[in-house]
Amino acid sequence: MMSFILYGVLNTLFIVLISPLFMSLIKKVKAYSQGRRGPPLLQSYYTLLKLLKKERVYSETSSSITRVTPYLSIAVMLIACLFVPVVFIPEHPVGMGNVILFLYLLALAKFFTALSGLDAGSTFGGMGSSREMSISAIVEPITIMAFAALAFTLGTTNLFDMFEVTSFATDPVLILAIVPLIIALITETSRIPVDNPETHLELTMVHEAMILEYSGSDLALIELSHAIKQTLLVAVVVNLLVPWGLSAEVSLIAIAVSMLLFFMKAAIFSVCIGIFESSIAKMRLFNLPNFFAIGFLFSILTIMLKVFK
Amino acid sequence: MLSILFCSGILLFLAGITITLAFAGISGRKTRAVSLILIIAGSVFLSITSLSVLLSGAKLDVLSYTYVPGFDISFSIDWLSAIFMLLVAAVSISVAIYSISYVELEKGNKRKNLLVGLMGIFILSMMMVLASSTIFSFLFFWELMSLSSFLLVMFEHERKETRKAGIFYLVMTQMSTVFLLIGFLSLYAATGSLEIAPTQLAGVQSFVLIFSSLFLGFGIKAGLIPFHKWLPYAHSMSPSNISALMSGVMLKIAIYGLIRFLLFVLSPELWCGVLILVMGSISALLGVIYALKEHDIKRLLAYHSIENIGIIFIGIGLYVIFTVYNLPALAAIGLAGALFHTVNHALFKSLLFLTAGSVVHATHTRNMEELGGLIKKMPQTAMLFLIGAIAISALPPLNGFVSELMIFQAFLQSYVIPDPLVVVLLITSMSALALTSALAAACFVKAFGITFLGLPRSEHAKNAVEVARPMIIGPAILAGLCIALGVFSYQILLVSGNTLGMPDMLPIGVMLMVIYAVAWAAIRYATPGVSRTAMTWGCGQPVLDSKMQYTASGFSQPITRMFNPIYRTKSVRDVQFFDKFNTLLKHGHGEITTMKFFEEKLYAPVAAAADQIAIRVARLQNGSLDAYISYAFIAVLAILLFLGGISL
Repeated sequence: MMSFILYGVLNTLFIVLISPLFMSLIKKVKAYSQGRRGPPLLQSYYTLLKLLKKERVYSETSSSITRVTPYLSIAVMLIACLFVPVVFIPEHPVGMGNVILFLYLLALAKFFTALSGLDAGSTFGGMGSSREMSISAIVEPITIMAFAALAFTLGTTNLFDMFEVTSFATDPVLILAIVPLIIALITETSRIPVDNPETHLELTMVHEAMILEYSGSDLALIELSHAIKQTLLVAVVVNLLVPWGLSAEVSLIAIAVSMLLFFMKAAIFSVCIGIFESSIAKMRLFNLPNFFAIGFLFSILTIMLKVFK
Repeated sequence: MLSILFCSGILLFLAGITITLAFAGISGRKTRAVSLILIIAGSVFLSITSLSVLLSGAKLDVLSYTYVPGFDISFSIDWLSAIFMLLVAAVSISVAIYSISYVELEKGNKRKNLLVGLMGIFILSMMMVLASSTIFSFLFFWELMSLSSFLLVMFEHERKETRKAGIFYLVMTQMSTVFLLIGFLSLYAATGSLEIAPTQLAGVQSFVLIFSSLFLGFGIKAGLIPFHKWLPYAHSMSPSNISALMSGVMLKIAIYGLIRFLLFVLSPELWCGVLILVMGSISALLGVIYALKEHDIKRLLAYHSIENIGIIFIGIGLYVIFTVYNLPALAAIGLAGALFHTVNHALFKSLLFLTAGSVVHATHTRNMEELGGLIKKMPQTAMLFLIGAIAISALPPLNGFVSELMIFQAFLQSYVIPDPLVVVLLITSMSALALTSALAAACFVKAFGITFLGLPRSEHAKNAVEVARPMIIGPAILAGLCIALGVFSYQILLVSGNTLGMPDMLPIGVMLMVIYAVAWAAIRYATPGVSRTAMTWGCGQPVLDSKMQYTASGFSQPITRMFNPIYRTKSVRDVQFFDKFNTLLKHGHGEITTMKFFEEKLYAPVAAAADQIAIRVARLQNGSLDAYISYAFIAVLAILLFLGGISL
């Protein structure tokens, strides 16, 4: 129990602190690929601090939903941090780390964000909510199938156990299951080609349209939860893809090593996301099912390979 | 002791029904309130009875009565009926509280009394179906339930749509009874017993007939696709307290019947499980896809009932399949998921129907495109609807999530099944379930967001006021139960003795509240925290108009477009021009309609065929005595020949 509390505090703090950095890192990579220098790596932190000091502007039309959502969203993300170990793998209570619970916690935050998009009665908010919920609906089977593929391969539905037993040498099939996971990650974090995080153009924005009415500390909380969500999903992928460094050992050196290794793995992964984003254009909303179908295919393939072995 | 409690509960019900029906002409508001309180008291008695049966784990034989030798009416309560009776009681209590105000909104003293009395009969007959331990009494109260609910659907019989809905419902519910009768009779023929008790049916030739008739009978009553069409009609046309009872509870009686016969009477084979699973998956997915296109708030909820019934069937199907493969641990998860989802759906769907009823009452419209901004006018109703929406969207930590988690958990561990083809079927069904639950969340963002948030879209919505206190308290009980059953799900499983590897939702709920409070306090005290109110940016227009918002159809447009082939949209374009180059428009018209696929392709042909047969048969009845005598003669002759043929 003590080790779980230690884990909870360390893991959550670590993820919260490094999350904004990866947002800036991706921006930096994209800027370089466009021939710009881009914002400094600590820009996300500056922005968050600035937003925290600014005043909040609420629409006359908006209700308590708008006011509740930022706090709820950060609360959900902080709880979700407990589900994805990056510092060490502790002894966990039954059911903690359940992958379906993890996914549906993220969905809870999304549900409220989508509602707040409709709350102000603005022209854009509803558009964002509608698109976000549509996309999340059609990507859901892909996400669940990806985790089903993992469950079939690794024999568990718990993230803690998955990270413990994962290994490429014994299960090369895993590489197939990673593809749908990455597609789910791109979708959940509103990245190109599903959504464009940099735009405020009504034709293309999805996530940004939903949170358009937010300002001040509310916006800071929303942005921070978005950054945490991205780090969590990246952590799931890298912990499965390159599981080395993460151990069940609780010692100062082991924890420091796994933190450092995770930081490097996630940084490399973020650079890859940046390069990927720079190399392709945003897809039309109605072409997205084709993109998701790729993920579905790979999940099915993984499961078939397991089932018909 | 418990039997006495049970009987006094029934007597309280009868007293409540009698005083409203017997004094229909003279009694007023107070009598109705007393009658409803008696119904509540009766439900409390019955729920105490079933709770103690559940806790003690022993079967309770209440009473038996022989009317005609061989046709015993006897009642007993075991754990399965106790769960369902608790569910019926919980929903009935809150619906009865809600009705104290709601009934008074109807016109005419007699009508109000009739509504209360019939509601009492309806609830009581459902209780008796659950307590029945012989096929005879099961069927008797099943019919009573169907007929009383038919009268309740027809309550606003002045309207043409209501009459159509009522007749549609009556036909479907009688079909269900016909199939049940076939199933029961062949079961009786195979076993020679009218008890609802375990039988040795292995190798019996009529097993296919028995199972398929029972499945059809219960499936029609539960609203399984393709027998679902009566649901949106009947649920949207009946008074809202009745919709809540029908959708929340009556559908569950069909689920109860299926589980009772699968678990205790038949010993199902693999194909039964596959059939239940496949039909369940189709219902779940199509139900939610149809719901997305619906803008009538009560019809939308009715389609979600179809979806949730589908999810329950998926759980039952998993139970059967895992049982056939002798995997009791997984079968237990499947069954627990199905049962828990049954309870949860009863709670949150009744909650949603009741609050939707309050909205319809306050705004006089069921069309979501005319609503909006109601969270300001009806804050409590909005809060309760939101809790229901979160629960039905299967979001943690509420109850809807826990039951879907159980079903997902059973799916995700299905790799232990040795037969690869069954595994492939299971994962296909699982992805359908994942899509279903995500689409349900999208649909309820629409239902809540368009109805309660933003600016009011009509004068009706602008002038809405909050409903009376009982119409808040009734649903509030259900909302409380939704939260409690979600947050304390692990503890409930712990009491039942098997946690099934489910996560404990209590710490999640507590952490959610604590972190929320800490984050709020931190922002409140550690930042300047200045805030002001301003107008939403109206794209440069000086006023913000409600027409600038997204509409319900706009909201679901991306999804309806992606699933266009399923909706079978029919577009007619008929344009004529003056010249041959098609430039000068003479006249033309175009229309886009959603094809009512099942109605046009399945129901209409069957109905037409029945009509044809009826016309042929009607010729026999020509009014001439000679013809009738000759029929009698032919009949006697046929019987003699038949009997003679057997004796030969």
